[in-house]
Amino acid sequence: MSDLRRIDETLWEIPADARPDMRVPARVFADAELLAAIEADRSLEQLVNMTTLPGVVDCALAMPDIHQGYGFPVGGVAATEVPDGVVSPGGVGYDINCGVRLLAAPFSADELDGDREALVHEISRAVPAGTGRGGGLTLRGAELDGVLVEGPRALVDAHGIGTEDDLELTESGGRLPGADPSAVSERARQRGADQLGTVGSGNHFVELQEVERIYDDAAAAAYGLRAGQVTVLVHSGSRGLGHQVCTDYVKRLDGVQARYGIELPDRQLACAPQSSPEGRAYLGAMAAAANFAWANRHALAHGVRGAIARVVGPRAAEETRQVYDVAHNVAKLETHGGREVCVHRKGATRAFPAGSGDIPAAHRHVGQAVFIPGSMGTWSYVLAGEPGSLDRSFGTTCHGAGRLLSRTGARKRIEGAELRRQLEARGIVVRSTSNKGLAEEAPFAYKDVERVVDVVERAGLARRVARLRPIGVVKG
Amino acid sequence: MHRWVEHTGELELALEGADEAEVFVAAVAALNELLDGSAEGVPESRALALRSPERATLLADWIGELVFLAETEDFVAERVDMLELGPGELRAVVAGRRGRPRHLVKAVTYHGLEFRAEDGRVRARAVLDV
Repeated sequence: MSDLRRIDETLWEIPADARPDMRVPARVFADAELLAAIEADRSLEQLVNMTTLPGVVDCALAMPDIHQGYGFPVGGVAATEVPDGVVSPGGVGYDINCGVRLLAAPFSADELDGDREALVHEISRAVPAGTGRGGGLTLRGAELDGVLVEGPRALVDAHGIGTEDDLELTESGGRLPGADPSAVSERARQRGADQLGTVGSGNHFVELQEVERIYDDAAAAAYGLRAGQVTVLVHSGSRGLGHQVCTDYVKRLDGVQARYGIELPDRQLACAPQSSPEGRAYLGAMAAAANFAWANRHALAHGVRGAIARVVGPRAAEETRQVYDVAHNVAKLETHGGREVCVHRKGATRAFPAGSGDIPAAHRHVGQAVFIPGSMGTWSYVLAGEPGSLDRSFGTTCHGAGRLLSRTGARKRIEGAELRRQLEARGIVVRSTSNKGLAEEAPFAYKDVERVVDVVERAGLARRVARLRPIGVVKG
Repeated sequence: MHRWVEHTGELELALEGADEAEVFVAAVAALNELLDGSAEGVPESRALALRSPERATLLADWIGELVFLAETEDFVAERVDMLELGPGELRAVVAGRRGRPRHLVKAVTYHGLEFRAEDGRVRARAVLDV
């Protein structure tokens, strides 16, 4: 976009007068190379569209892993005034509270060695991925309502799944307040009823990793990470339940926004004032779906621990601790710059710095843990939130490497069977229900995660704590 | 007829037909191809009735219904046996089989959603979140 101007070495801005319907500037964290990739699709146009939301404050932001999506681009962040600014389901996305949870095992990759393939295989049996229904916990009626209101707390209390520590080490304790099960449609309940504890398709996965490098000893110690250790990264969300909640409310808000005098450049940005009946209903349903997603990753982690118990032993499973769990598709009420705002993060992660009261006590002296998955063949990173995130990005950093190639583009370049062979030749055990799906997630389909992390570190949003090397992956 | 259009993050579906009904039928073929059901069960059918104020959102609901059937019943539609389009509504019977369809499509978005008559043809576009 010709109106893009450089603010500093990692921040670029499109001024608020670049298009008549903009209410605030649009800003992108990137370096020159990432920016070239960002400009290759419609990401910046979608970023500018975000600035038209009624009640948007300060600026619309894009993280360096931004790519073209729908409504908001993936990697988009916008805050709106409370209570009369809008809330937009398209600013959260269909996979409400898609996120990542990291587990740290008590054994090293060297100690696991001969059992590595067996463990990946056992995880693939324990956590249904990809095709078909079932395999997860089936909850209906009051039991499902309990999860929608309480999140993983309901699984701990009613089913003995997971631990109190797991809840403490989850963003927002695994429970967004204000969840309203009555705002979740029967159709959404049907889609989610037997999907708790399932991974799903697309870019979701469970990855077995080795802590390959520590950058920050104090933060790594606080997170319970050490070099050589085995970790397990779980990436999934609210499954069909969340997808249907978003579907229901995009349609509903699309139908009422004229009543509120709202005109938007993209129907997927459909929105309503938070204080309106429709806005309140969406916020209640979204919170319920977010709680379902935390329960889903909680159940998936339980499945992983079960697999560790069977392959390595019960004690190893008991000693497998949760490092943290973060959301990257959610709207939350937070205080920034002395005022309460509704922060929409779509493909972006909260990254509060040391001292924040909203992060677990054990992490408060080093900052909130953030996990940045790379791709199947590349490193993932553990980061810690930095003060710059509060100053510059509503307490937010990136969420991954960011797609570079379309799925069909990836499939044109490699077949799933060949990719599986290449990954296994590099020592990565692969279990995937679909060769087609595997090819779509080929490492070259993503941006360089190293470069993305470098930008957020130089921008002062988050800092490196550890680097994780993939040694096994279970994909849908 | 249908074709998939390049999109970095999602899947964009372009549909075309001689009339409105053909566009809805083409969507069934596209989803059948995408969900990769390898359906081997006995033939079954489903009766569908949908309402939406405009054709574009009705198409989104139609594709959403096919996704819902695949996700909740493992049912993959293969053809349309009956289709009636009225003002703001649709009634149809789709035939297919149960299989092991991919849970790939999360939803049909309203981003760039189109349904229009043009040069004697009817064309539509929808971006699917995957």
